[in-house]
Amino acid sequence: MQATQIIHAYKQAPWRVQRQYVGAFLLFVIVASMIAALYLSVTARAAVTGREIQELRVEITGMQRANADLETQLADLTSTIVMQQRAFALGYRPVKPGELEYVAVSGFIAPEPSILLAAEDVTSPERIIPEAYTQSLIEWFDEQIKFGGAKQP
Amino acid sequence: MRRQYALRSMTLIAGFGLVALAVLVQMIRIQNSEQAAIFLSQGDQYAGEFRMFYPERGEIYDRNGHLLAGNRTVYEVGVSLSEMEDPDALAFTLGTYLGLTYEEVFKKLTESPESWSYVVIQDYVDANIVAALQEQIKQLETAKDFRLQGIAFKPHFQRSYPETSLASNVLGFVTRDGRGYFGIEEKYNDLLAGNPVQVWVPRDPNKATEIPRVPNGTTLVLTLNRDLQARVESILDEALIEYGAQNGAIVVMDPRNGEILAMSTTPRMDLNKYTNYFSLYNDGSQYNRSIGTAYEPGSVMKVLTMAAALDMGLVKPETTYVDTGSIQVGGFTIQNWDKEAWGEQNMVGCLQHSLNVCMAWISTQMGPTAFYGYMERFGFGHPTGVDLAGEAMGRLKTPGDSDWYNVDLGTNAFGQGVTATPLQMLMAASAIANDGKMVTPHILYSMLRDGHQYNVPSQYGGSPITAQTAHTLSEMLAQSLNAESSEALLSGYRVAGKTGTAQIPTEFGYDPSVTNASFIGWGPVDDPQFMIYVWLNAPTSSIWGSQTAAPTFSKVAEQTVILLNIPPDNVRFQLTSK
Repeated sequence: MQATQIIHAYKQAPWRVQRQYVGAFLLFVIVASMIAALYLSVTARAAVTGREIQELRVEITGMQRANADLETQLADLTSTIVMQQRAFALGYRPVKPGELEYVAVSGFIAPEPSILLAAEDVTSPERIIPEAYTQSLIEWFDEQIKFGGAKQP
Repeated sequence: MRRQYALRSMTLIAGFGLVALAVLVQMIRIQNSEQAAIFLSQGDQYAGEFRMFYPERGEIYDRNGHLLAGNRTVYEVGVSLSEMEDPDALAFTLGTYLGLTYEEVFKKLTESPESWSYVVIQDYVDANIVAALQEQIKQLETAKDFRLQGIAFKPHFQRSYPETSLASNVLGFVTRDGRGYFGIEEKYNDLLAGNPVQVWVPRDPNKATEIPRVPNGTTLVLTLNRDLQARVESILDEALIEYGAQNGAIVVMDPRNGEILAMSTTPRMDLNKYTNYFSLYNDGSQYNRSIGTAYEPGSVMKVLTMAAALDMGLVKPETTYVDTGSIQVGGFTIQNWDKEAWGEQNMVGCLQHSLNVCMAWISTQMGPTAFYGYMERFGFGHPTGVDLAGEAMGRLKTPGDSDWYNVDLGTNAFGQGVTATPLQMLMAASAIANDGKMVTPHILYSMLRDGHQYNVPSQYGGSPITAQTAHTLSEMLAQSLNAESSEALLSGYRVAGKTGTAQIPTEFGYDPSVTNASFIGWGPVDDPQFMIYVWLNAPTSSIWGSQTAAPTFSKVAEQTVILLNIPPDNVRFQLTSK
């Protein structure tokens, strides 16, 4: 009887009810702030990474151009006319048939033309940008709920 | 008091609630209004852009990996009109660097339509000029001088040919619109150009999506040997000067697989200055005469007439024929090149002395059905199928054609009244050099795409004659060259071949003073590794192929054996015996 009275008195205390409301409100504010801060942080990081990706893409394009330019410059420097001029300047002259000596090398097989190494493989099936950098927090939650943390098929 | 306070509170809450509700309703209304849709679409326009990614055009290499056609960066130089500070300074500076007049640039900057935010001043500007211009801008900006603000540089690729005019007749060229013309560039334009990809590129870094990598165009490796090509072009140029010929063509081919090792014609042009095309050529057939110009080949055709006769068993090398100096065919008299009678000759003598009468006798003995059957199997009247743009197929008149006459059976036997390109002649004669199997000439060795190399297999165009016939005829031709001490002979190597001197038809008939001088030959006879065709158009120092085309063949053969590492016969036999 006495215990019931005490509980009743506690429940009825006005200051206690107000504190409960204030506490619940503060808890809501704190949780909301934490989620907002987390979202802001993730979004900011994603934005910075996205910008870096854009810059890297520009850099890749520039490097491809530079590579093509360098290849062409190298070909200019080793073109037939240039090489002939350099050879003549160094005192060389075209060989005549009688000046050649042929030597048999057992097991030697004349190399077949092959510049395969110059071919670029662009068929990499892997994604360049991980999903973590492109999906929003809500999309991440959605994926966690749907697939339980397992990688999306 | 307490009730009044509660009433005031309720009134305030209701007031604020109404205002909040009004704001909410207004927000919803605005967001779903027609204007909102317009604003949204306008916003979407700035959210990103559809961008077309053009692949880098595939490169072209020779068989040893020397770059023949590549790409280099050039720039579009423009001005962002909204950022422009001083049109005067821009007009003066851009005019100076880009070789334009001040007025020209100033007019573009100040008289462009108002809706324009960007104006192109010049495209395809060299990277060195742009670098100098960028340095100038940088210096001014360091000094806090922003008068050149607004200049923009957009890089893109332009086709570049490091070897300038080398193999220009084979490569063709690419215009600024990215389309290939002539040769490899036209034939394989789709492969080289690749497939452009249009992609939506968002500006929002949060939406940075993976842009699919645009694969470059397919890189091609040709069968050409760059060094041999250079030597052949040099020899052809020297021959034109030495013999006073108007133009010419030389083709070197591997008779075992049809790979074209060198192909030269005149005139050639610097492919980096392709706009000179119209000043060098009257029509497209002249761009590569080896495949584009069909002509009456003359006596080089006797090789094929003899091949047909041997193959059908009509004659043997020792078969004799009494040459009286003339023969009647279809009511016309056919004479030898010197209008003389050569008496009794065997078939080697017929070839050695290049007797028209003997050949006309052979073709008439064969009859039109057999003769033209062989000629068709040798590929005359059909394109060779070489992988180059602009191939002509020549003309072989056959019985039944409205312009075929009986005399054609006689004249066709020694290469008059029939037209063929140098490459058609090579393809036909490859049957003799390659054990009776005729190869299809080709210029593409392999393709490189997505990290894989695809080699192009050799193709054969049939077996018009037997291997036995091919060996017999090769031997006969080698003997005839030796017997006449031909200028085509190459010290240390046994070669087979035949000269040709054909009068050039005009609208008034054949002009005896102007000829096409030709030579077709191959070697080493026991194991042919190269075939060479030489054509000199209208030589003036001598009209005879034996004095012009034959020595040219020898020079080309000499360089060919050196650059292809073919040892002299005696060395080769020694090496083989080991």
